[in-house]
Amino acid sequence: MNEINRMERDPLYVVSPSYISPKTKRLGKILVWSSFILMSFIGIIQILYNLEKINFGFSNWRPLLYAYILWAIAIGYSRVLIYGEKGKRNLFIFPAVMFIISIVIFPMLFGLYISFTDWNLSSLDGRRFNGLDNFYQMISDPYYLNSLKNMIFYILAVLVEFAIAFLLALLLNSQIKGRKFFRVVFLIPLMLSPVAVSWMVGKSMLEQRFGPVANFARWLGWETPTFFSSPEIARLTMMCMDAWTFIPLMIIMLLAGLQALPKEVLEAAKVDGANKWTMFKNIIFPIMLPVSLTTLVIRIIFKLKLADIIIIVTAGGPGGATDSVTSFIVREYRDRSNVGYGTLLSFVYLILIIIFMTVLIRFVNRWLQRAA
Amino acid sequence: MKKSLYEYAARHAINRRSFVKGAASAGAIAAMSGGISSIATSAFADGHSELRKAILQIPGVGAGSPGDADWQKVGEMCLGPTKERVKEGEFKGVELNFLGLDSLNLHNMLHRGFLKPWEKYTGAKINWIDLAQADYNARLQQSIATGTVDFDIVQSGAPYEGDLCGKKLLSEMPGWVADQIDLADYVGYLQAPVGTWEGKTYRISIDGDCHNFNYRTDYFENEDLAKAWKDEGHEGNWEVPTTWQKVTEVSKFLRGKKHAGFPAYGYLDVQKGWGGFAFYYLGSIATAYGKHPSSPAFLFEPDTMKPMVNNPAWVRAIQDVLDRGDCQPPDQINADPGVTGFSQFLAGTGSMCAWWGDVGSNANTSDESLIQGNVGFDILPGSDDVYNWQTGKWETLSSGPNYAPNMAYIGWGLYCMKTVDDDSAKNKAAWSACSHIGGKDLSLWMSMYPSGFQPYRNSHFNIDEWTGAGYTEAFASDYLASEADSYNHPNAAIEPRIPGIFQYYSIAEDELSKIYAGQYDAQTGADNIAAAWDKITDQIGRENQIKLYKASLGM
Repeated sequence: MNEINRMERDPLYVVSPSYISPKTKRLGKILVWSSFILMSFIGIIQILYNLEKINFGFSNWRPLLYAYILWAIAIGYSRVLIYGEKGKRNLFIFPAVMFIISIVIFPMLFGLYISFTDWNLSSLDGRRFNGLDNFYQMISDPYYLNSLKNMIFYILAVLVEFAIAFLLALLLNSQIKGRKFFRVVFLIPLMLSPVAVSWMVGKSMLEQRFGPVANFARWLGWETPTFFSSPEIARLTMMCMDAWTFIPLMIIMLLAGLQALPKEVLEAAKVDGANKWTMFKNIIFPIMLPVSLTTLVIRIIFKLKLADIIIIVTAGGPGGATDSVTSFIVREYRDRSNVGYGTLLSFVYLILIIIFMTVLIRFVNRWLQRAA
Repeated sequence: MKKSLYEYAARHAINRRSFVKGAASAGAIAAMSGGISSIATSAFADGHSELRKAILQIPGVGAGSPGDADWQKVGEMCLGPTKERVKEGEFKGVELNFLGLDSLNLHNMLHRGFLKPWEKYTGAKINWIDLAQADYNARLQQSIATGTVDFDIVQSGAPYEGDLCGKKLLSEMPGWVADQIDLADYVGYLQAPVGTWEGKTYRISIDGDCHNFNYRTDYFENEDLAKAWKDEGHEGNWEVPTTWQKVTEVSKFLRGKKHAGFPAYGYLDVQKGWGGFAFYYLGSIATAYGKHPSSPAFLFEPDTMKPMVNNPAWVRAIQDVLDRGDCQPPDQINADPGVTGFSQFLAGTGSMCAWWGDVGSNANTSDESLIQGNVGFDILPGSDDVYNWQTGKWETLSSGPNYAPNMAYIGWGLYCMKTVDDDSAKNKAAWSACSHIGGKDLSLWMSMYPSGFQPYRNSHFNIDEWTGAGYTEAFASDYLASEADSYNHPNAAIEPRIPGIFQYYSIAEDELSKIYAGQYDAQTGADNIAAAWDKITDQIGRENQIKLYKASLGM
């Protein structure tokens, strides 16, 4: 009976005795603190050595990494020593926590620091703290502002993509011949690497002399079909290429939603004499609204990262007309080795994305609540 | 015959026939280069002439593009110098990381094949790190700056020597390497200080870069075009232009005309960025306008690093591109150098283009070339007048047009990193691998076939060897003279070896893209470039840049 009560109180059923001696607890604390002191000591030595304040140290930062790993292991072990069974439970999430701290939190803090430095890789002086200079440079940088403007166009294009994707999803959901075949075929662009898309479509099919699309356009009467010469057409072509790649993703999500529609409602509407348009307007679209909005949000997240096809096909040109924020950051960071400024641009873009997505999701939620 | 070549030949009292034939041609080029004496001795006196003949038959000019089997065969046949210095299996257990390019399916693709027999013989293993041209600069800069050098051998250009040597990342070349590769055989402009830093040698050259002028001979032999040229009242005969003023005139003349049933085009301007490398194409025009014979400087003023890119010479060069804008093939604004050289010129579009020597080495040997037998070469066009940045005035030289061939990139080289210095076997293995690729015989093969590398040794200029491989004498003499004349030109524009040089080019490409798209006029755009360049100079450190710039100019 006692056993049953105990299991009710503690569903995980602690097997080991709950009493932990003060000596064991002390040992746990000593382990943590001694490994922490060791790590700090190595870190300080290495920092001073790199700042040339002392003339002994390690040739690289690897010893600090080993000390960090030792500290992490010590923390884990000390949890068990200090808290016993509860500590063992902590061990299940402990590796994940340390992993996130190591590869997300720490790099992000380090990146934040870099974004406030003047760090050109070619400078013999290395990086130096320059306060808000990078930020001031950013707000007057015509390239960054231009790429932000371009992003507005790119994001607006998602609405058109959504309409096409919805239409295709409806088609694939209906009883057409070869439905399974088309489902697979429509997915192919999504499976292709953007680099392959850039070369196959952007650089080959759209090539103005021998590309099949250009030949077809010529056959239609467009004398000199060029897809990347004027800013507007270049931007439109880029939108089309990106859409061609990602519309299948939207189709999959929408198709899943369509297949989950309650059949009885649709059948009832049919019995009541509703035509296809009425069914779509009054039943399918409203019911699909949550799926549609999720699809839009996910697609926008993908769109905000648009870069690869731009870098390969137009390098942002002509005259910055197709530049996205990411492709500009790549140029600034990669081609010009401007690490400090490039990092700041990335952080600001991240913040803008977070704000935008938060507002969008809140707006979507409110709309959904109102619709419900 | 090119005018410049004729003038040289006349000055040295030789005729064209004797100039282009065998050892005599070697002597002539040596004379032109101001005393390079090893050229005549190269192919004939070193006992390798039979080997050289044999490798040049693989696969043979006109027999299609060479492939991996050919590269391995050539590599195997050229192992002699390695075998003299390395015992079989001597490097067993040694692993080397080799960072290079895979642009246009060349460079590292060839190195792999060449080094396969070397690996088999020595027992060493090479791990390859391939980079696209556009990724190269960033990857190298990041490795240098963050001290994360994960390669033992790097294929790099002289412009990066400021970055690599300035941070003491390179291994000094051992004496035996200099003997094996015959350093003295390099053309004059690749001799020290190129490849050296503070008196020490670090580089094995595998390329000699300059832009030359490639043109379609069939265009300029077309009688209908000649008649039309005359009928339209143009000055002079219908002939290959030798100044940029004439290049523009010819390009405008060809607008709307047809050649061999297809739309005719003049000079192919590069209008799209290429990771910084496209800027060289503007430089190839601007040097004629702004590289004054009285000063080696053409990018920055040496005492202050004040950019010259917005001076009247550079602005005129930009304006030239704008003026020729409506004479270009459609979509030219999206044409990077890969497009102008390979997709357009070699594929039969356009009548003139500037490029590195690759157009010449691909014209008759690449499956992609459609212009076999219809291509001629010259040094870059000049200008009727030249801007003197020191006086701020345009001048007309008494010697005629100002020519200033652009030594763009100063050629690829192989460098061993300091990482190999801790282990003597590794050090020897790394330098041996580089010496194999940069060897005298193997490099001859590379200069004749698609490889991404052009002639750079005096011994590469032996016409007999080229004709023996299957080139016509006319082609070989024409092509080689365009290269030799560029290398040895007294007013050659030699790129400064300063840190971050590609950062300057990269931002310039962004601004040029806007100018070509019509967002700014030439002067405003050039001023923007100058302002951005000043910012980069300040960021990298102006005083240090001035010091290195002056040193690289020999001031």
